[in-house]
Amino acid sequence: MRIAFNSFPDSLVNQLSLLNSQQARLESEVDTGKSVSQLSDNPPVMQQVLGWQVQNSSTAQYQQNISALQEQATSSYNAINSLQTLSARASTIATEAGGAASPADLAAYASEVNQLIQEGLQDANSQTAQGEYLFGGTRNSQPPFVATTDASGNVTAVTYQGNESVPSAEVAPGYSLSAQVPGANTSGNGPAGVITDSSTGADFFNHLIALRNDLQAGNTQAIASTDQPALAKDEDNITAQISANGLIQSQLNDASTVASTQSTAVTQDISQASDANMATTLTQLSSLQTAYQAALESAGSLFNSNLSLMTYIEL
Amino acid sequence: MPGLLDSLDIASSGLNAQQQGIAVAGQNLANVNNPAYARQVLVTQAATPVQTSIGQEGTGVEVVVIQQICNALLNDQIQGENSTTSFLQTQQGALQTAQSDIGEQLQSTSATDTSTVGSTGGLDSDLSGLFNDLQALSLDPSSTAARQAVISQAQQLAAQFNQVNQSLSGLNAQLNQSVQSDVGSANQLLSQIAGLNHQITLAQGTSGGTANDLVDLREQDLENLANLVNFQPVANSDGSVNVVIGGQLLGSGSDVEDTLQTYDAGGGQLLVSTANAASTPLTLTGGSIQGAIDTRDNALASLQGGLNQLASQLITQVNAVYSKGYDLNGNTGADFFTGADASDIGVNATLANAPSTLQAAGVVGAPGDNQVAAALAQLGNAPQSALGNQTFSGSYNATITDLGSALSNANSNLSDQQAVQSMLSQQRNSVSGVSLDDEMSDIVTYQQAFQASAELVATLNTMLGDLMNMKQS
Repeated sequence: MRIAFNSFPDSLVNQLSLLNSQQARLESEVDTGKSVSQLSDNPPVMQQVLGWQVQNSSTAQYQQNISALQEQATSSYNAINSLQTLSARASTIATEAGGAASPADLAAYASEVNQLIQEGLQDANSQTAQGEYLFGGTRNSQPPFVATTDASGNVTAVTYQGNESVPSAEVAPGYSLSAQVPGANTSGNGPAGVITDSSTGADFFNHLIALRNDLQAGNTQAIASTDQPALAKDEDNITAQISANGLIQSQLNDASTVASTQSTAVTQDISQASDANMATTLTQLSSLQTAYQAALESAGSLFNSNLSLMTYIEL
Repeated sequence: MPGLLDSLDIASSGLNAQQQGIAVAGQNLANVNNPAYARQVLVTQAATPVQTSIGQEGTGVEVVVIQQICNALLNDQIQGENSTTSFLQTQQGALQTAQSDIGEQLQSTSATDTSTVGSTGGLDSDLSGLFNDLQALSLDPSSTAARQAVISQAQQLAAQFNQVNQSLSGLNAQLNQSVQSDVGSANQLLSQIAGLNHQITLAQGTSGGTANDLVDLREQDLENLANLVNFQPVANSDGSVNVVIGGQLLGSGSDVEDTLQTYDAGGGQLLVSTANAASTPLTLTGGSIQGAIDTRDNALASLQGGLNQLASQLITQVNAVYSKGYDLNGNTGADFFTGADASDIGVNATLANAPSTLQAAGVVGAPGDNQVAAALAQLGNAPQSALGNQTFSGSYNATITDLGSALSNANSNLSDQQAVQSMLSQQRNSVSGVSLDDEMSDIVTYQQAFQASAELVATLNTMLGDLMNMKQS
């Protein structure tokens, strides 16, 4: 093939340009650690990675949801656990007062039950760290249980001003959990109320008030026949609530484990798909740099030698 | 029998021919770095002999022609490949700009940990961010901070939609402008080619030779025209070349029969026709003009259409759920998003200064109710029938992946095309390029031949002198 004067420079420029662009690509891989960083680098992989990123982002949000629900569940558990202690004490008082108790003992018990009612109100109106009432259902910006007192300061009635709905939040795609329970459920539908629940017959505050009234009245027969069984229903309901809370916490732990496992797996997928293989990349880069250097050296040598027929001809 | 004076004529013709040869070699050397130049060679032949009694006797040498060494087939091929290369370069440039406008780029989230990545600045993270913030709101629907986060994220998403749409519209306008500008340049080249055809025809008709340098200039114009629009060159016997674009004869010899023009095919999208057949689009298959039109009407139109459909569907679906919700003041019925598509999507202005008016609850008077917030958050994972049963993010990813595929194909095709063009260029160089070695060799040959002829003149001069002396003596 005949070689014209411009053949070599043209070819050299093309070759150097090609080597330069390949070097730039590999250097970018080394700098970023990514073999795929732009849409056009590898469209199918990029689409996969973007999809995984969305999945990872959602999973991170689910993990935050789970953490928040776990906090709510723990707060609920603490309040319900305290209520269970109160309920157990009330049952004990009812049992002891239903037996042979003196009027002074009954008066002391009545005073203690008044105290239990006050403590119960505090527990039933527990708040989250954000100031929302745990047992108000979705009407949670105001105390769910409001007490009516007589002139002596004794609670004569407790009204529930929350509702029976509880918010749930997604912990996985299409799977929602709620860590809250309403304070009262009088419709029999939906989650059971912690204090009042028509389906189980629980009505903790009214039963405590009745016990106190019977203690004050010295009506031991009513205590034994009415108050004691009623308080047993409250205790059963509260125990069931603790059990349900445990179940929710267990489900949240499971969801957290699944989310964490998924996040790790997806992160690995992203890494495998888009991370540069440094050993390969650096080897390729080194080869290219050698080729580039060789091209420059041979070009320099050819240009410097300035060889042509002209060198040897004396006209 | 020829006399000494006849021999002098022969020597003289030799001197002339070698001088002409030196001039041709000089012309070649002078144009050694001119890429449009095709090397020339001197073609000589023995001058017409005279008949004598002892047979034909030579009368020296005569120059037949200064011949241009070129391969018309290669030139035609290079013109065609120029069109293809230019088409792909325009396509690549526009798609690269679109890719930058989209702004999706994978980056390591930290310098030390390259295993986790995040895309920055793109709609993808804004979309998932909105649905994540709605999830956070569903946990604490009465929280002002959570409400504000949703509103801010939605505003950012809407602004990103607007910005991407604006950038793509700007790119669209640039491509239209490029079509218009290229059509103007093509018309100018058609006119120049016609002018050169005229000069070539005239020169060749007068001298009978080849107007080599004018042919070089025309070839350069033809190749420049090929960069703009693909055409079929038709060589005429008089040395001129006709130019046929999209089946229409635009340049016929020294006449420009028709010109190119742009027309608005609707919505400001420019197409190309001839002036004589206005509004009838020319069928073009290469060149930067078609590269711009093709990219604008396919990859970019599809990208913009996909983003508009995504934004439109987002507005419709979010508003359908949101408008049934209740805000903290018990109000309902408002929309969350305003606008119709990516160009004008926005967030209800009332929300900006009043997060309490965000309708997150499904029932009135229950600030802790999160039904609407949760339903909105779940939209993020819900397949949308209007988006081909893909989620919002899935649809977006598919849309931008189409752009990535188009650019990847353009990159790959252009790389292959450049290799083809480089090979053709080398091939043409090997035929038409100037070689210093060749020219130096020719110069030495012509110089030595010139010296020999000069020596002959000197010898003849001596012989003539001897004859003259004989007469005197």
